[in-house]
Amino acid sequence: MAEMIKLFVNGEEVEVESGKNLIDAVGAVGIEIPHFCYHPALGADGNCRMCLVGIEDGRPPLVPACKTPAAEGMKVQLDTDKIKKIQRDMMEFELINHPIDCPVCDQAGECTLQDYYMTYDGVSSRMNVEQVKKAKKLDFGGGVVHDQERCVLCGRCVRFCRQITKTGELGIVNRTDSARVDIFPGRPLNNRYALNVVDLCPVGAMTSADFRFKQRVWFLKKDEGICHGCSKGCNIFIDHNREKYKDDTIYRFRPRHNDQVNGYFICDEGRLSHKKENEGRLLESLKNGKPYNLTESYVLAQKAITNAENVLILVSPNLPLEQLVATQVFAQKIGASLSGYSDGYIVKGDGDDFLIQDDKAANRKGLELLGINTGGDFFWDSLEKAECFICIDNELPAVDTKRLIKALRETKVIALSSHHFNLVDQAFVAIPVASFSEYGGSIINCDGVLQSFQAAVVKNTPIADVTEVLRRLGGPLSSAPEVLAAIHRVEGPLAKVDFNRIPAEGLKL
Amino acid sequence: MSDRSQLIETGKPFKFDAERDAEFERLVKRYPTRESMILPALWLTQEQEGWVSAEAIAYIADRIGTYAAKVFEAATFYTMYHLKPMGQYHICVCRTLSCWLREKQNIIDFLAEEIGVRPGEISDDGRFSLEEVECLGHCGTAPVVQVNGEFHEEMNVEKMKTLLAGLE
Repeated sequence: MAEMIKLFVNGEEVEVESGKNLIDAVGAVGIEIPHFCYHPALGADGNCRMCLVGIEDGRPPLVPACKTPAAEGMKVQLDTDKIKKIQRDMMEFELINHPIDCPVCDQAGECTLQDYYMTYDGVSSRMNVEQVKKAKKLDFGGGVVHDQERCVLCGRCVRFCRQITKTGELGIVNRTDSARVDIFPGRPLNNRYALNVVDLCPVGAMTSADFRFKQRVWFLKKDEGICHGCSKGCNIFIDHNREKYKDDTIYRFRPRHNDQVNGYFICDEGRLSHKKENEGRLLESLKNGKPYNLTESYVLAQKAITNAENVLILVSPNLPLEQLVATQVFAQKIGASLSGYSDGYIVKGDGDDFLIQDDKAANRKGLELLGINTGGDFFWDSLEKAECFICIDNELPAVDTKRLIKALRETKVIALSSHHFNLVDQAFVAIPVASFSEYGGSIINCDGVLQSFQAAVVKNTPIADVTEVLRRLGGPLSSAPEVLAAIHRVEGPLAKVDFNRIPAEGLKL
Repeated sequence: MSDRSQLIETGKPFKFDAERDAEFERLVKRYPTRESMILPALWLTQEQEGWVSAEAIAYIADRIGTYAAKVFEAATFYTMYHLKPMGQYHICVCRTLSCWLREKQNIIDFLAEEIGVRPGEISDDGRFSLEEVECLGHCGTAPVVQVNGEFHEEMNVEKMKTLLAGLE
């Protein structure tokens, strides 16, 4: 816990953390100092002049709050006529050449310029000269489309590419009112975090080709979630909407700040993985690859399990602890072998030293802590012996297909699957299960941080999650408290975790 | 200010000649970081080619080991870097206070008539280009004209005529 200091804002005493600049320090207690260019991850640049404040201690009449450390006893003025005039003047300056095309701008509704206009400006334009024309639709590469006219030249995107990704594709060219953000011709955005500039942009200048013109942001429900794209477990917002007569659909993922995990950013791959939640899903039960009644499918699956002497259950390393433990208990009850074999989820050399990990499994640490065998030998040996093979959402990536087909020749395959994976069509019975945006649970990331998340999307026809499907197949666990009790019975660090009180930034085990 | 961000590509790779190469290596030792070489390297390019092409900017960035976008920024910010080919004789006429008061406009008008170029233009035969520039620091001997970097002081139409006649 940082040291607390007392200072005055508009004459009122507030207690803030020391060691921060004024924007962050008083921002943390709910007092807004307007700013465009400052961002906590990129540091103070001081170019936008929107955060100018007065300090009553004989300093120069105005100081930029982003470059001023909060100090004990400081008397900060935010509401004097002079400061208000400066804020209004800065807004007028920003709006001289701004197209004010809010009705067609994707940022409208979450735009700093819009919000500040309502709070700090609110007067009509006095400009009667022709506005400077710039490019409206520049493809910067990496899925970023740039509108130069909307830009307020805060330079956040430029600094992101230089400081964070160290690829430096963007620059501010020209000067005065001709200044604009551009790439050097032939050297477009070429890094795996490029789409973060869309979030960083305080206005609608940087847009994502994937999201633009898809939804008005005020219709989107913004639920908290965890990205399942790799073992980092980056915190995200799941922005989704159920349009009239349509189903609840995810339109984008955005990074959610968590210093313990991902900071302010996520990778592009993870961001675009929202498509996987909408596309290629298994939505109906199948028998030998053909649609089949769901209730009947359960009966068939149950029979196949009961008749088999040896059953092997393979779980996905993406499943949360709750569903893993439910599977574990189910396996014990029916006397099945349980494997968490998922070596194929590791893509060697794909990770970097920022966020992206080699391991594409979201909860491998969870598998290990629950003591589920992940060995390849155990999996293949058990598969040879099994008369019934239950594959729970494991994609079996990079697996030896020939060996798999050979091993499964005499085996009845039951697939509980969220997506239409290869095995689904070969399965005797395939039953759809929910994907991670549709259930809640807890996962442990590569650094041992336990994080919990809630269901975000509720489909018109909700799909049962693994725990529920197993219950219908005769599993003994029927309620959330029972599942948690089962986790607590596992020896190790999980035994003492209070799953109802996991802190928002996660629990480091 | 106009938009200077539309760079021209020559379609040919750019490289410093031996002399500029040696000069680059001499200068680079002078500065604490290689990025300090952005402006001198742009000057060397302009000295060699008369202007700065897209290829030259990419070459400079790679040679220095910095982002092309950074060199692009500097080249478009400073208007004394020519981002398109100039005339064989590049004429700069000062238009700041002293020169203006001492009738630089007469020289501009004369040049428009004589060689057919207005400020910012290049003559059709590519021999002349004309530019009005801000203070050249020779206010005591205004008006002042620069031809390919060489100063000519206390100019008037008569002297300009002689000067043009002397050019090949």
